[in-house]
Amino acid sequence: MTDSRTLAYINLYAVLGTLENLCELDSKAKELISGLKKPVSICFDVKGGPCATIKFTSKGCRMEDGRQQHDILIPFASCDKFNGMIDGTVTPIPVKGFTKIGFLLKTFVALTDRLTELMRPTEEALKDPEFFALSTKLTFYTIAVALAQVGNQDKIGQASASYMLDGDIAFLIKDGPAATLRVKDHHLVAIKQAPEKPRAIMQFDSLELANDLFNGRINAMECIGRGTVEIRGMLSMVDNMNRILDRVALYLA
Amino acid sequence: MSKYPEYKHDKSRAYFDRAVKVIPSGIYGHLGPAEGLWVPVSKWPFFSEKAQGTYFWDVDGNKYLDFMCAYGPNVLGYNDPDVDAAAMKQLKLGNCTTSPSKVMVECAENLVDTVASADWAFFAKNGSDTTTLAVMTARAHTHKKKMFFLKGYYHGDFQWAQKVDYPGILPEDVSNNVIVPWFNLQALEDAYNACDGDVAGLIAQPYDHGNFKDNEVASKEYWQAVRKFCDEKGMVLIFDDVRTGFRLDLQGSDHYYGIKADLICFCKALANGYNMSALCGGEHMKATVSGVTYTGSYWMSAVPFAACIACINKMKKLDTPKMFREKGKKLTDGFVAAGKEHGFDLVVTGEPALFYLRIANDDSLMLHQEWIAECVSRGLFLASHHNHFMNAAVTDDDIKLAIDIAEDAFSVVAKRHPEIKG
Repeated sequence: MTDSRTLAYINLYAVLGTLENLCELDSKAKELISGLKKPVSICFDVKGGPCATIKFTSKGCRMEDGRQQHDILIPFASCDKFNGMIDGTVTPIPVKGFTKIGFLLKTFVALTDRLTELMRPTEEALKDPEFFALSTKLTFYTIAVALAQVGNQDKIGQASASYMLDGDIAFLIKDGPAATLRVKDHHLVAIKQAPEKPRAIMQFDSLELANDLFNGRINAMECIGRGTVEIRGMLSMVDNMNRILDRVALYLA
Repeated sequence: MSKYPEYKHDKSRAYFDRAVKVIPSGIYGHLGPAEGLWVPVSKWPFFSEKAQGTYFWDVDGNKYLDFMCAYGPNVLGYNDPDVDAAAMKQLKLGNCTTSPSKVMVECAENLVDTVASADWAFFAKNGSDTTTLAVMTARAHTHKKKMFFLKGYYHGDFQWAQKVDYPGILPEDVSNNVIVPWFNLQALEDAYNACDGDVAGLIAQPYDHGNFKDNEVASKEYWQAVRKFCDEKGMVLIFDDVRTGFRLDLQGSDHYYGIKADLICFCKALANGYNMSALCGGEHMKATVSGVTYTGSYWMSAVPFAACIACINKMKKLDTPKMFREKGKKLTDGFVAAGKEHGFDLVVTGEPALFYLRIANDDSLMLHQEWIAECVSRGLFLASHHNHFMNAAVTDDDIKLAIDIAEDAFSVVAKRHPEIKG
């Protein structure tokens, strides 16, 4: 029911892409990169799949699509190999940037370990309200970007996207993180901020509710009735986004 | 200052809180808040207490002038005395019995006499039962695999009629569905050729009354050309008249468009709320449908048959399609004029008997949702993005009241949006 190419797009843009938010929101991650004297860029190039470059500075990191100027290049022979790196079953081998190998082995690995700790939290860890909030926010950003990847790459996700009209969907947690799912000619782009003029809105009432929804403990249909998930505007767009959301859960499970 | 005070829904909410504990999503399906598209949910009633004529009352005692008609079944008015009397009389005689009641025969005869393309009637309970039987019959008749659907279709919620991205649906469930655009004969031809002719039939609503979009009525020329195409290709033409049936034409919506469908599906307006549906068809399909294995525990219950006969007879007496056209036009003309006064461009599409509304001032439909919510919370029950339904109990005074509430709701929304100039 899932395919490795779509998973590779999710793993690169949505999962590794969340390093941007981790470095911005998490004090431990900030500390890990604070010592960087010069920017370091890593390019992940997956044959038959996605390619993106992450640039780290002492202030944070940004991901750019494609093979940009980079210090370290890590090619993958297939989507399966890249997904294996994310699972921890494949060791990545850089072909360029041996002088920066220390960053890759220490800082980058520490950052991804921290991301995993937050994205795959233990029940015990979630009892800490600060950890809970950070974990939920990062999951939100991952899901927002994964929505676009599933809508663009997954065969069934593409069917949902084919019904979507052009425009911006605001994907929000009240008093929390915000994202835009931009639709143009049935192609989806995720932007990690609220749209100026949304054509449709889906807003979760709280971080707690969002966490329950993301983890499948409650269903959006019930929440709409309760008024804890607010939907407005071109609801056919929200409806189709919801169907893609179901697929996202399958890939991120 | 609003002329009509806003309703409160405290008891409705309390019932809903109880409901979600024991019923998935509280109220599932089109009568519920999610699929019903209640925006915002606080403006809608969840549960009703009673109904009469074209009104229903919610559990908080709020009264609603209802143009959704239970999404179609209320065609003569809630608790119609003639239909209810026939149903009650039959109930005393027997309802769900081992040998079906003779009233089933009388009901089938009535349908055959009424519906132009019907030589027989096969009874079930819901619209989905009949669309499913129709598709099975088309395949059994032609021994072919693919089915054509027109874009934006809705033929119920059985697996074959859903879409590939819906929860619980496998690609295999819908792999033989071919979707073609409305009003495009060349696309039909192209799709047929792409399937190498392995096409059992076409299932379609009489016109494009999809949700979230302006409804597009068909022409006689279109349906006559489609009829000819199906005849040439040996495809079965199925009219899904579940929503439109008896509201456009008592002889069937295929008759309205000057053709005879091979199979025609009825449900909503068949028995004024008594639960039954019927697949009707021509003599040439009778042997095939006789061989299809298809039955249900309550499909031959007698009470709905008695109600159906009374309902059809009364619709004939009142000439309800003519009444719905006239009253639907009067009502929607009033809505449009009221909107215009406050700067709203209200677009009305579809047939007046099943009118569809959209405020066109913005492309997000948010203004439209605001207006609908203000109407509902003042006692005029409309739907956000679904066609509406007329019923025979609507009086001229009801239409006057509906327009007045609509105007009041427009004024409320206009006040909130000073950018809209009346």
